[in-house]
Amino acid sequence: MALFLQSVVSGLLVGGVYALIGIGLTLIFGVMRIINFAHGDLLMMGMYGTWIAFTAWKLDPFLSILLVFPALFLWGAFLQRTFINRVLGALPQNQILLTIGLGLVMSNTAMFLFTSDYRILTTSYSSESFQLAGLSLSSPLAVSFVITATITAILYWFLMKTDTGQAIRATAQDRDAAQLMGINVRWMSILSFGLGAAFAGTAGALISPTYYIFPQVGQPFTLKAFVVVVLGGMGSVVGATLGGLLVGVTESLAAVYISSGLKDLVVYVVFLLILLFKPAGLLGKSRM
Amino acid sequence: MAILEVRNVFKLFGGLAACSDVSFSMEPGMIMGLIGPNGAGKTTLFNCITGYYPPTKGEVEFKGQRIDGLSPDKVCKLGMVRTWQKVRPLAKMTVLDNVMVGALARTNSLRAAREIAAEQLEVVKLGPKARFLAGGLPIGERKKLEVARVLATKPEMLLLDEVMGGLNPAESDEIIQLILDIKRRGLTQMVIEHDMKAIMRISDRIVVLNSGEKLAEGLPQEIVNNPEVVTAYLGEAVS
Amino acid sequence: MDAMRPSPSPAPRGSARISVAAAVAVVAALAAVPAFVSNPYALHIMILLFLSVIMGSAWNVVGGYAGQYSVGHAAYYGIGAYVTLIFMTQYRIMPWWGTWVAMAAALAVALVIGSITFRLRGPYFVLASIAVAEVIRLTVLNWKSVTNGAEGILSGPIPKIAFGETTIKFISKVPFYYVGLAMVVATVLANLAVQHSKLGYYFQAIREDQDAAHSLGINLTFHKNVALGISAVFTALAGSYYALYVRFIDPSTVLTIDVSVQMVLICIIGGIGTVLGPVIGALVLVALSETLRSNLITDVLISIGAVSAESRVGAFLKEHLSHAHMLIYGVLVVVVILFMPDGILGWVRQSMRRRALAAAGEKR
Repeated sequence: MALFLQSVVSGLLVGGVYALIGIGLTLIFGVMRIINFAHGDLLMMGMYGTWIAFTAWKLDPFLSILLVFPALFLWGAFLQRTFINRVLGALPQNQILLTIGLGLVMSNTAMFLFTSDYRILTTSYSSESFQLAGLSLSSPLAVSFVITATITAILYWFLMKTDTGQAIRATAQDRDAAQLMGINVRWMSILSFGLGAAFAGTAGALISPTYYIFPQVGQPFTLKAFVVVVLGGMGSVVGATLGGLLVGVTESLAAVYISSGLKDLVVYVVFLLILLFKPAGLLGKSRM
Repeated sequence: MAILEVRNVFKLFGGLAACSDVSFSMEPGMIMGLIGPNGAGKTTLFNCITGYYPPTKGEVEFKGQRIDGLSPDKVCKLGMVRTWQKVRPLAKMTVLDNVMVGALARTNSLRAAREIAAEQLEVVKLGPKARFLAGGLPIGERKKLEVARVLATKPEMLLLDEVMGGLNPAESDEIIQLILDIKRRGLTQMVIEHDMKAIMRISDRIVVLNSGEKLAEGLPQEIVNNPEVVTAYLGEAVS
Repeated sequence: MDAMRPSPSPAPRGSARISVAAAVAVVAALAAVPAFVSNPYALHIMILLFLSVIMGSAWNVVGGYAGQYSVGHAAYYGIGAYVTLIFMTQYRIMPWWGTWVAMAAALAVALVIGSITFRLRGPYFVLASIAVAEVIRLTVLNWKSVTNGAEGILSGPIPKIAFGETTIKFISKVPFYYVGLAMVVATVLANLAVQHSKLGYYFQAIREDQDAAHSLGINLTFHKNVALGISAVFTALAGSYYALYVRFIDPSTVLTIDVSVQMVLICIIGGIGTVLGPVIGALVLVALSETLRSNLITDVLISIGAVSAESRVGAFLKEHLSHAHMLIYGVLVVVVILFMPDGILGWVRQSMRRRALAAAGEKR
């Protein structure tokens, strides 16, 4: 029983990060209906950015979020304006291929610059853990969970209470209507892709104390991000949050009760099952 | 013997009843006009009848056989086809190839299909454009192409969804002649249209839908003089 | 859309006017090559070319004609490779039987996958295809007792086979060359057969407008599965050929998304939905990756003086450009999607059309 609770809690902590990645992806899909296959590679960039800051300036990974967030935001905005915007009207297959191509460029450039060596970022607290109610929690993951929750809450407030946030939601609901109401939908697209990228990069920064850093690290995260988003319903921020936690817990339980090597497989099988039986997600809606 | 029987068809989307207790029947060879204000449920009814989605409740019988819930390809094979309100050309294929796709519903031979397709193109007067890519045609010709395409499937019944939408008077006239021609060949037709003059000219009977319900059914003269129908189209103030 | 000019033939879009005579001449010329060229590197390049053509043409059936963009075709490639080598190394079953089993296995898997994933549309289908390929890769990776897991399978040479007086030894590249050429001919013929058949018309109708196709009497699931089945069989053939030629496979070489992307890339560069498209795409990609690998580009840049061999840039290029082919692939995908979504063939056709329209305009 203790083992079960322990796995669930660890899963929830990791799930927070998955939720963050998923929220970024669902934001992009909600506003532009684009399936961003380069999402994991944006996370990878966040990881490398954090690693560089740590290696060069001894900057704590959690503090680098202050750098990574804006940097990835600008990068995402650039990608949207230069590349993604041109295929907004194209066949979905072509949109997907474009993002796949961009992802390949990003991950292989990273390989060029940093070689495929696995890097690790060891901080004083990387393997620290603390006790809570008889369960052992990883300190870095716990801190990232708190940070994730904070960022998610801020995002929710932003989307619900600010004008810009509501404009984004309007664009997601009905692009044409939003445009007719005077919303600059091009700006909304740039903004959402930027935000999505920033979130992915931040997730990368958050997990860098605990994960290996290498150029291809983004790939499994992209696919898992999709699982999260489909689970929660494409375009739903709340759904992505819940989906992320669910995926984290599933993965953790699979690692403990089946085998650590097969945990990804279990997640993908669950993904396929959801696509088949509830493609609109467990929450059944596609709304922000 | 009725060729089509629609009995108490309902179609609900979430809580919204797009079609509510619609019933009517059609004799072979007749033309039924289906009219009603926008959002009345006309296309929804077509979709239910032809299998695009099944009705929530109710029955549809074609040539004495239950077809509600059958998939569109099976409905086509039974002899019922439809055109689309928003035209759907197979854009990157030629005009001839488009119609051949229809013809291939009845034959496995490309040569036979080509002949049938060429014939139908002549009927709608699109013969000279056979080698053009369908995506490049103007709207009027796209509509004619769609008619040719469904005719090539050798149907017994045609459902035409606003086939005159967006056409100029000359083009509409052509379509009217085409519909009457098709009737002379013995096919049964149900026509959704907003062009009242056209509907009056071609219809043997008219069914009026409003907010998903059948408001009225009868001969064209009866319908046009029916105060409820007029109100439905023009609002309370007019009556 | 500048589509008002009549397209050249009554056949479905994409069939260029390849005269039979020209095609036979090309094949004959290719067949004669090993008689004049003995350089193993040259033969190796041709073999890579053949492999790429088969891969691209196979994907083309389901992705180009039927419009179902699977980005998980590595699954069938890997099944072809693994079943063939497992049969040869563990059960001593020779590839002339084993490859057929591999193709059958891929077909079976394709039909299962198809029946599950084809009810999904557009991007959901793409995602599912990727997920399935990953599931298969992870299964192969973990099923160590059968597949040797991450260590992969290393096989000895194919034993020699005798037909009466002649014995074929699979030591030199020549037999692989001829087998590859035969496979290419078979694949291209299959594509042609599909394109000029009722299947071809139906596939393209599904691609253009699924709902319209459905209402015209086309059974969507059945036809999508046929397309996928044909595609999977030829993809597995390519995987089997690769495995027998290279004699070493592991999950990271035959089951990754890179392999799937490569197949799609070959098609879209040349022009999807055409018979010649994958051939052109294969030519471009093989030429590109070989010039990269052999440092040709770096040497040229140095010899024309654009870059100095001693400079940091020069040294960097010399060391790294040869490994850059995935990066170049990524750039290519972006460029093609943005500027030439119909591929090289499509771009050529459009310029021809524009010139014809301009000429027609001048005549007035």
